[in-house]
Parts: sequence; C-alpha cells; structure tokens
Amino acid sequence: MSGILDTDVEKAWCPGCGNFPILDAVKKALERTGKAKHEIVLVSGIGQAAKLPHYVDVNVFNGLHGRALPAALGIRMANPSLTVVVTSGDGDIYGEGGNHLVHNIRRNPDIAVFVHDNQVYGLTKGQPSPTSDPGWSGSLQRSGVIAGPFPPLAAAIALGCGFVARSLAADVEFTADLMARAIAHKGFALVDILQPCVTFNKKNTYQWYGKMVYKLPADYDAADRVRAFELSLEWEERIPIGVLYRREDRPCFEELHPGVGDPPLYGRSTPAEAVRDLLRKRLITLP
Amino acid sequence: MGIDVNIRVTGGAGQGVHTAGGLLYRLAVAAGHHFHATQDYMSRIRGGRNSYSVRIREIPVRAGRPQADIELSLDPGQLPRILPSVSPAGIVVCDLPAGEAGSADPRVIAAPLRELAVAAGSPILGNMAGTGIVARVLGIPAEMVDRVLALEFKGDFLEKNRKAARLGAEWAEGRVPEAYRLPEAAFHPRVILAGNEALALGALAGGCKFAAGYPMTPGSSILLGLSVDGPSLGLVFEQAEDEIAALNMAIGASYAGARAMVVTSGGGFALMVEALSLSGMIEAPVVVALAMRPGPATGMPTRTGQEDLAFALSAGHGEFPRLVLSPGSVEEAYALAHHAMEMSEAHQVPCILLTDQYLADTVVDADPGDFPALSVNRRIVNGNDVPKDAKGRYLRYAFTADGVSPMAVPGEPGITVVVDSDEHTEDGHLTEDHAVRIAMVEKRTRKGEALETETLPPLLAGPPDAEVLLIGFGSTKGVIAEAREILSAEGVSAAAIHLRQVAPFPARAVSEILGRYRTALTVENNRTGQLARLIRAETGREVSGTIARFDGLPFTPEEVAERVKERR
Repeated sequence: MSGILDTDVEKAWCPGCGNFPILDAVKKALERTGKAKHEIVLVSGIGQAAKLPHYVDVNVFNGLHGRALPAALGIRMANPSLTVVVTSGDGDIYGEGGNHLVHNIRRNPDIAVFVHDNQVYGLTKGQPSPTSDPGWSGSLQRSGVIAGPFPPLAAAIALGCGFVARSLAADVEFTADLMARAIAHKGFALVDILQPCVTFNKKNTYQWYGKMVYKLPADYDAADRVRAFELSLEWEERIPIGVLYRREDRPCFEELHPGVGDPPLYGRSTPAEAVRDLLRKRLITLP
Repeated sequence: MGIDVNIRVTGGAGQGVHTAGGLLYRLAVAAGHHFHATQDYMSRIRGGRNSYSVRIREIPVRAGRPQADIELSLDPGQLPRILPSVSPAGIVVCDLPAGEAGSADPRVIAAPLRELAVAAGSPILGNMAGTGIVARVLGIPAEMVDRVLALEFKGDFLEKNRKAARLGAEWAEGRVPEAYRLPEAAFHPRVILAGNEALALGALAGGCKFAAGYPMTPGSSILLGLSVDGPSLGLVFEQAEDEIAALNMAIGASYAGARAMVVTSGGGFALMVEALSLSGMIEAPVVVALAMRPGPATGMPTRTGQEDLAFALSAGHGEFPRLVLSPGSVEEAYALAHHAMEMSEAHQVPCILLTDQYLADTVVDADPGDFPALSVNRRIVNGNDVPKDAKGRYLRYAFTADGVSPMAVPGEPGITVVVDSDEHTEDGHLTEDHAVRIAMVEKRTRKGEALETETLPPLLAGPPDAEVLLIGFGSTKGVIAEAREILSAEGVSAAAIHLRQVAPFPARAVSEILGRYRTALTVENNRTGQLARLIRAETGREVSGTIARFDGLPFTPEEVAERVKERR
C-alpha cells in the first residue's frame, strides 16, 4: 500500500510482522481524521512497535521506553490543537510505563493510545511481556512465566477510561475503524491490538487469534460498565474484539485544566508589566 | 558596625514559629533596617523542634549567626537545648505561666504568653503576644506593629492579633532590657523574597510557560511559586505522577514550543536522569531546578547540603552538552533562572539550576531595582526560516556551524517535526549509519563549544595580594563574603571566588585567579570536596584544601573565618 502518509524510511520489522497491518490501519485512521499532516503528532516509546511513527509522514516524537504518555501529555498541554496519538508496544505502555497509563487514564487527556500487544519483547529477543500467558516460556523464563498477565482492558475500565477497545492486527479495516473512533473520542482512548509476533511468539499466532476472537454483536451495549468488565476478562475460551466500553460524559483533562487552551504555550507572551506586578506583590510599602 | 541583632523563634511545628518570624522581619524592614532569615525545621507536620532566625542589621544581611541575642521560646520544654546557643548578654523570652521562674538562668524572662493570648481572644495567639514583647525589646512602636500586621491579616483575626501583640508589648514594659533597641532609620521600599520564590519568578520572567514536578523538599516551594504566580503569565502547571513523568512531560511541552521546567531534589533528580539524556539527544531545551539536601537516599529531607554537584555535572548516559548554574543569592536566583531559560533555548541544551535548602528557604530584603523585567528572546523559526531538504522535509537537526539547528514546532503548516531518542539523521529519523553518527556527535559537541563561549565568569572579590583565596559555588556566597569581612577586621586579608556557573566550567578564569594566590580553600557543604575535585579536573590545579560542612546545616561567617585561620 502506498499513500500520502508514507515515508521513505526503511522498515525494520521481520517479514510477516503484525506491525505491518497495524501501520496500514494507523495510516487509514489518520487519513480519516481529515487533519493535515502538520496537525497530527505520533508519539511512541522504544521497541519494534515504537518505530511505527517513522513510517508515517506526520509529526513524530519517538521518546524513551515507557515514557510515550507523559511526553504526549506535555504536547497536548502545550498545544491542544494538535491531534496526539500514542502508538507503542505492550512492554512500553503496560510494563515500563505502567504508572503513566494509570495516571493518564485518571487525568483523561484527549489522547488515543494504540498498544501493539504481541505478549512478547521482540526487539530484545523473546522475553515475556506483562501480557504473556502464564506458563509461556521466554528467553529469560525458561521454566515458564509465573506472574499473572496484566489485564489492560479490565484495568482501563476499572480506572474509568472512556473508550476501551480491542482489535486484531490482521483485520486492517476493523482496526482502522476502531482507531478512527478512538481518535474521535474526546478523552483518553485505549485500543489494545492483538498482534502476532512471527519470530518469538509461537503460541499466539495469526491462526490462534483467528480461532479465538469474535466480534462483539451489533446490539452490544458498550455503556454497560459491569458487562464490559466481564467481557474484558474473557481470554481462555474466546476473546471479544470491538469497543468494550464507551463513556462520553466525562470532560477531558484539557477542558478542566484552567491554563490549557488557546493560544498554545509557544504563542504566549511574557509582558514586562505582568512580571513587575508579581514583584510588586513582594514589595513592602507601609500602609 | 552598628547594630547586629539575631532573633530566634523556637517552638513546635504548628505553633506559629514561621508567622512570628515573618512578622519580625517585616517589622525590621518597616523600621528601615535589613534582615536575613533562615529556618531550621524538622520533617514533620506538627510538633518537633522548629526555629526561625531573623538577623537584623543596618546594612543588607546575607548570612546568619549561630548565637541568638533575643530568643522567643514558645515551648519551655526546649529551654535546656536552646540556652547554649543564646549569646552571653542575650535574653530568652519564654512562655511560662505567671509566677513561674522556669529557669535559674538570668537570661530567661518568664512571660505568660498563653495567658496574654487567651486575654486577646485565642490561645493560639501566643506567638503574637511573644512577637509584641520582642517588638518592644527592639523599640518598635505599637502603631508600627499594627500597620505591619495589616499586611498579613484581615478583619476580626487582624484585631485579635493586634490585641495579642499589644498585650505583649504592654507586659514587656519595664521587664525587658533596652540594649536591643533599633536605632532610627529611614524607610526604603524593599522586596522580600525567599531563594526559591526568586528562582520561580526568574523562570517566569524568562518566559517559562510549562512546569511539572512531583513534590519534594526543598524544591516544592519553587513549584508553589510557579503554580501560584505562573497562571497570570500564561504558565500551565501539572503535578506529575512521578519525577520520570515530570521531565518527560516538560520535554514533550518543549517539543511543542513551550519554555518548560521541572523542579526536584536529589532523589527525584535521580529518577529524571534518563529524560535529561533524552533532552540532550533530541535537543529539547528544558530547565531543571535541583534543590539539594543531604543524601544519600532520603538523607535529611529538610536540611541543607551541596552533595549533588558532581551528580548534576555527570547525570545522564552518553555525552551531551549542558549548562549548570549555581545561584548564590535571591538576586542571582532570579537572574540565573531567567538566564537558564534564555540559554537553554538559544543552545538547545538542558540547563540545571543548582540550589539547596539553605538558599531555598532563606528570606531577605532586597533592592527592587535588582529584579527588573528582562527580555525574552524566542528562537522558534517558521516560514522561510525553516531549513528543508530537496524534498521539502524539515531538517530538525540540520548541520550548522555552531551545531544549533533552527527549531520549528509541530503545527507549522507544510512541515512535520520529527525527533527521536535514537541517533538520527538531519530529518530526525533513526539511523544506524556510523558516518551520520559521527556528524551528529560533532554537531552536539559544537553546541557545547558555543555554550562555553558564553560562560559566566566567576565573581572575584577582595584584595589581589590576599593571604588566602576562598572558593565557593551556590548558596555559600553571602557567608563567604561576610567571613572575609570578619577576617579582614582581624588582620587576615582574604579574597573569594563565587562560581555562578559550574558547567561549562570557567576553567581559564579560575586557573588564572588560582595562580595569583598562595593558599586557596574551597568552602563546600559536602564531605569529599567535590568542588576541589572539579577544579583539579578542569584546571589541573590543586587547591590547598577544603573547608567542609556536612551536618545538614549551613555555614556561618564566624565558622568559616575561624576555620580559615586554622588552615592558612
């Protein structure tokens, strides 16, 4: 596929990597926003997934491992007219950056977060990730993962995230649609994308996911938080994909923050008189 | 020398020690005098032992004294601990019920503060009754106390405070010595500022529009200043979930074009270190205010130290240029915070403002003229000034002679801004090309060289033929200046260097000055002589020794003078 958002940067992914269809979906979703390239910022951390922004011709902030969210928040606070999308891996968002996930769902900034969830650390060669299934043996856990998996959707629903969805990387159209809706959602939006890792994860393959997932029915009520929570825990027998939970009534962080807004911070001046006023407050003059 | 009265208010947290101290220094300024106030407080919310020292002179004061001339003790239980640090001719006004002697020490004046407070309308006004007594000791008329109280309080509470202070002053009549009366002096308008407050104002004057932090003593009051005073200048503030988030948020805001800063202390700075390196790599200007306290680890949270000099200079993996400034007074805290904002953006480097608990919490009166509104020179480019390649792509990291690439911000029509923590090409995309790597390392190095040409020279004071040269950085400035005066009065001539900037280090200037003096001593609030080591590394010169203090308390001029005499 080639389009207006392509870059000529060489892709560093394995042949058959689940990141390729995710990239296609991201580009489709961004095109559907109707925004110009200069109005969009893709933010990522570090890892194979986090290289994605380099392959999309928009503004790019490729920061530190685990730290995409705070950088994205800083960008939104400085200039809320920018559309800010985080696209990074499960190790990045759920592991190293877990604290930022928790607190940014609490803040509810208008940021869409796409997590390439392949349940494995690919770039560092096959260690388990926070979402690896117990018993799965990685390069540092030869006798199998002991810790229970981090449940991203259940955690997000519990924290009050207003848009919680899961997709399947292989289904580009479906993923692009969820991504576009996540971007349109005003507030923090999480899309967990089940992504096969063809090199290191021989369990959760394209075939395995194809067998396990089912799309939520058209009459599913995404406003039902308890039902959404229940579904978010489905994994062993079958895995639901689609928008599990949606809540529109919560104002976003940028609306509530008294200082964030127009003009963007770079356009704000520092009038000498305002500085003098602050010093005058400290001046002792006898009443 | 004129008057030199050191007043100390002691009591538990929650007893109004800080309020009494604040009122006393305002009274000093109202009476036409000058003051230096420091606090010594414990890491707790109520109780404990806190003290607030206010030293009053006829000339501006920039250091404290260990011995109190007038002690106001709100907690009689603390008397045994207090008395050894009261001067021989001093007095201790101590809250004791009428008729109780309290102590055999003739310096102790038993004052029924609680009873006076109750008479004024509330038992919590004991601090104000005591302040009224001290005001009487200083010879400050009751009307003046009334006027100054009106600067602080309003309505019914103002009247109660006035009454408590008046009852205190009336009680004191005939019961206190007349030796500490302040001479008449003309009133001049002065600004009253703490070090952290001045630093926050300087950052705001420098165009800071974004601040984030996770509260940590002694940095928190900078965050307070930014969050309270910042909004009137368009600053947005956010309390981060941790220090890692704080600096990454600030760097995100900087990428989007805001002048941004974070505030922390040693432990929080340790968490920020990876992001400091990110700022170095993506060349995002950012300012870090690092208020030092004794370590390692949690150390002594509310006390002072200068143990993070070497840490600030080396923090961050990899090699990248940085600016590290070390203000030594409220005036410098203001000016250097502004300078940090300007230089950080001009050279696209992270800048650390290195301060400590002593300067952070020190309050003085200053000349309003020393806090001018300063210019803010934004360097963001747009339109035709944006460097592009043949395909029209913005080259965020365009190679230039001084290494600084014109910075555009996302949102600029027609371009995209690409930054990457990986090594990158001129257009910001990650690369593993070794030739590009070399060129980018050289580009960042050139920025450091350009930064070096604007290094603030050390401030040299004292005679060129002095017997001894004292060298300090940061908060020791005022203490060393007064120590020189004491030494000079005792026939020992001393010169001093104050370093306002420690990276890039003013190596040539320091080396040249060191060559002129036979004996050179660093004065540092750490055990290992980090400044002495830095001087050796940067100039190849060895200082004669180090006057070190690392108990968590600031130096005093007497102490430094005494230790110079031992060492010369």
